[in-house]
Amino acid sequence: MKATPILSVEGLSKRFGGVHALEQVSFELFPGEVLALAGDNGAGKSTLIKAISGVYRPDDGRILYKGEPVAFDNPRQARDLGIETIYQDLALADNLDIGANVFLGREPLRRLFGLLPALDRKRMRQEALQAIETLDIEIKRLDVPVRTLSGGQRQAVAIGRAIYWKAEILIMDEPTAALGVPEQRKVRALVEGLKEQKVGVIFISHNLGDIFAVADRILVLRRGIMAGIRRTADTDADEIVKLMVGG
Amino acid sequence: MKRLFAAIAAASAMLAGGLTTPAQAQKDLTVALVPGLTTDAFYITMHRGAQHAADALGIELLFQGAPDFNPTLQVPVLNAVIARRPDAILIAPTDKVQLVEPLRRAQDEGIPVITVDTFIDDGQYQDGSGPGDFPLSYIASDNVLGGRIAARALAEGIGEQGTVYVSNVKPGISTTDQREEGFKLEMANYPGVTVLATQFNDDDANKAASQLQAVLARNPNLAGVFGANLFSAVGAANGVRAAGKSGEIRVVAFDAPQSIVNDIEEGLVDMAIAQHPAEIGYYGVMTAYAHLTGQSVPIAIGTGFTVIDADNYGDPDIAKFIYSE
Amino acid sequence: MTTLEASSPLAARQAVVVRWLAVAWSWLFLALLLVFFEVWARAAYDTSFLLNRFNIQSITLFAVAPLLLALGQTLVIISGGIDLSVGFTMGLAAVICARLMQWLDPALGPELSLVIGILAAFAVALIPGLTNGYLIAWLGVPAFIGTLGMYGIARGTGFLAAGGTTVPVRNEYLAFLGNDRILGIPVPVIITILVVLLMHYVLSQSRFGQYTYAIGGNREAAIRAGINVKRHTMAIYVIAALCAAMSGVLYTARFSAGAAQAGEPLLLDAIAAVVIGGASLFGGSGTIIGTVIGALIIAVIQYGLVFINVEPFWQFVAVGVVIIISVLVDQSRSRLTGAHQEDR
Repeated sequence: MKATPILSVEGLSKRFGGVHALEQVSFELFPGEVLALAGDNGAGKSTLIKAISGVYRPDDGRILYKGEPVAFDNPRQARDLGIETIYQDLALADNLDIGANVFLGREPLRRLFGLLPALDRKRMRQEALQAIETLDIEIKRLDVPVRTLSGGQRQAVAIGRAIYWKAEILIMDEPTAALGVPEQRKVRALVEGLKEQKVGVIFISHNLGDIFAVADRILVLRRGIMAGIRRTADTDADEIVKLMVGG
Repeated sequence: MKRLFAAIAAASAMLAGGLTTPAQAQKDLTVALVPGLTTDAFYITMHRGAQHAADALGIELLFQGAPDFNPTLQVPVLNAVIARRPDAILIAPTDKVQLVEPLRRAQDEGIPVITVDTFIDDGQYQDGSGPGDFPLSYIASDNVLGGRIAARALAEGIGEQGTVYVSNVKPGISTTDQREEGFKLEMANYPGVTVLATQFNDDDANKAASQLQAVLARNPNLAGVFGANLFSAVGAANGVRAAGKSGEIRVVAFDAPQSIVNDIEEGLVDMAIAQHPAEIGYYGVMTAYAHLTGQSVPIAIGTGFTVIDADNYGDPDIAKFIYSE
Repeated sequence: MTTLEASSPLAARQAVVVRWLAVAWSWLFLALLLVFFEVWARAAYDTSFLLNRFNIQSITLFAVAPLLLALGQTLVIISGGIDLSVGFTMGLAAVICARLMQWLDPALGPELSLVIGILAAFAVALIPGLTNGYLIAWLGVPAFIGTLGMYGIARGTGFLAAGGTTVPVRNEYLAFLGNDRILGIPVPVIITILVVLLMHYVLSQSRFGQYTYAIGGNREAAIRAGINVKRHTMAIYVIAALCAAMSGVLYTARFSAGAAQAGEPLLLDAIAAVVIGGASLFGGSGTIIGTVIGALIIAVIQYGLVFINVEPFWQFVAVGVVIIISVLVDQSRSRLTGAHQEDR
């Protein structure tokens, strides 16, 4: 982690009316690093990732992406720079196949009879498959709706989409919350794979097991302020819980 | 008259005026016409006839109704009309039974009721029988008779020989049921004519056209069809046209808006049985006025029919029976 | 979501079978119907039902009006909406077309008044289409309610424009559109086939079609993927209204008169055609070809039962039964392919 940070957050604050949702939060994220966000409900985790991903404009502070200050008006701008967010509900269209989901909104076209533009489904499937195979996930059929996939496979599709579109920062909101134990393990493996590809990962979880399994560092928020930031190797669950609840 | 006089105490001065010096009070009389539905050339023409009568008498005419032929929609309109306290109500009740009590309210408020086109109870008023005996008069064309006239015209058109059927809207509508009934009764007098099962089209010309084609496909000797209302006739005529049988299969239409007359002109429809809705409206208002000015009125007035065909549609005496917009 | 770990390969295989059935059952049903009527016609009347050009012409012509409404409705239903106003939009367009042609004919002649009349029918349909889209996409009004309001507005306006009656119109070119044949095929059927091809291409091959499915499958996902969901939703309702206008123009052409209530009896047949054709009323699935099959099934039943001389009331029963069967197929399909609806 000697490289320059891919993301630097400096003194970020966000207020809703009189409520201080975030107050002077600062941290850095390095390529290939997994940073876990921990904190109780209402601690400001969601506000923080929404500020980074362009959903909210911060009231104060600044965000540097690869050393350059950035300000996003909407999530699309953040995505175009390479900051992808995967939300709890995965943001997949369940009725479409994997290729269609990976390319949703950016479909490649071919010429039908050399004339009419038409969706290039074959290419979409092939390239989607390649992206997902880099995650070491096996998918047998590509022409079925993602509704028929398992939870882990669906996570893989969402992550595969981010990778295909060259995400350099991946924000994951509770990626294991809805999954069974074997599927949770698979998602941890996916995150490990992302580290190898030098993607910076911000990972929100309630599950300390997950956090200690995959995170390099843990940022704890409490009522909008930074309660602390620790290297996973230097701390334990007790300390993190204490930071979360205060005292 | 005494009952009426007592009931509307608030309006008594005006009414007294009406009884004693009609010329003076004419402008104060208001008659309401509630049609079966407002979106139909038949009732619009009835309105026109009623307006002529009202203008001639110098009285005011209210015209308010629902967009569908449906008692659930008509009753609230009727109640609103009663609240306006007209001196008389002319109404085409949309149900024989369901309109009895709502109309009794008008009667109890001292507003005399005359039914036009359709009726409540048994249609026999002021004979001391039935819950709906109170309306003063029933003014309408006799739909059974209209069906008979259609049958006679069609039988004549096909040389009293061949297969025919009735294209109808749906079962349960008093007027179209009566037309079909009259048609079948009269056709029984023609042993050479076979009447097939009635086809119901839900007032959809597209379906009526398709039904004609299906009936024809099964009965290549089909000689004629009776369209019991506008869309039944328009659809049947189009089915005949699509089959390339115009002129061979006779089409008799009930009711005569301009579009049917155009079809007669183009040879798509052979005959139309025109009711006289303007007459119904005119005599409705006249009857109400007669009653309000102390005259006795007949308990039923039957209005006539006119058969319109390619030979006579241009005749002004016939053309006046074409329904207006 | 509890069974997901174990569901992968089995569910996938099951889904393929179910999906195949869902698409194929309507073809199968249509084929069965045709066989049924064919056998009956041969046994009872010693004639052919299917090898009879007149029957084919009549059935396809019959299917035109509800099918045109159903084509637009297919996009709406796939996107997770419903449009109750198309029937009266069709009537309004029919009346406007007839009214304008009747009015302009003396001044401009038949050719120009025809063109203006048809363009006006499409133009007037933009009003309900855009309004539906705005209400639903921007103001968040549920589609059922928004289009129900538009149902009333289009209906009232149609009757007002018609003066409460049918508007007769005379124009030889219009009569050609409505009643002539080219190579034995009725002109309205040819026009409808062209619309079907266009809509099939748009839905199955274009990004527009893909986004329609995505919006119906997961609206949030579509928004996050950068699709302009609001504009897209509006476009879908506009297309539905334009299809209705097409149906209205062909109605006026066929019957030489525009009627405000022209489409009223067709709305339910149109929705039934979409559902029988394999679309889910929950959105996300459906095809144009399926809808065509659905419309043909309804037309064949209604025509065939008259042809074999079945008591008229059984016709209502038969169509009702088919609708219920197709909804059951739709439900079992969603049950078998996962907890999709509960997720939303």
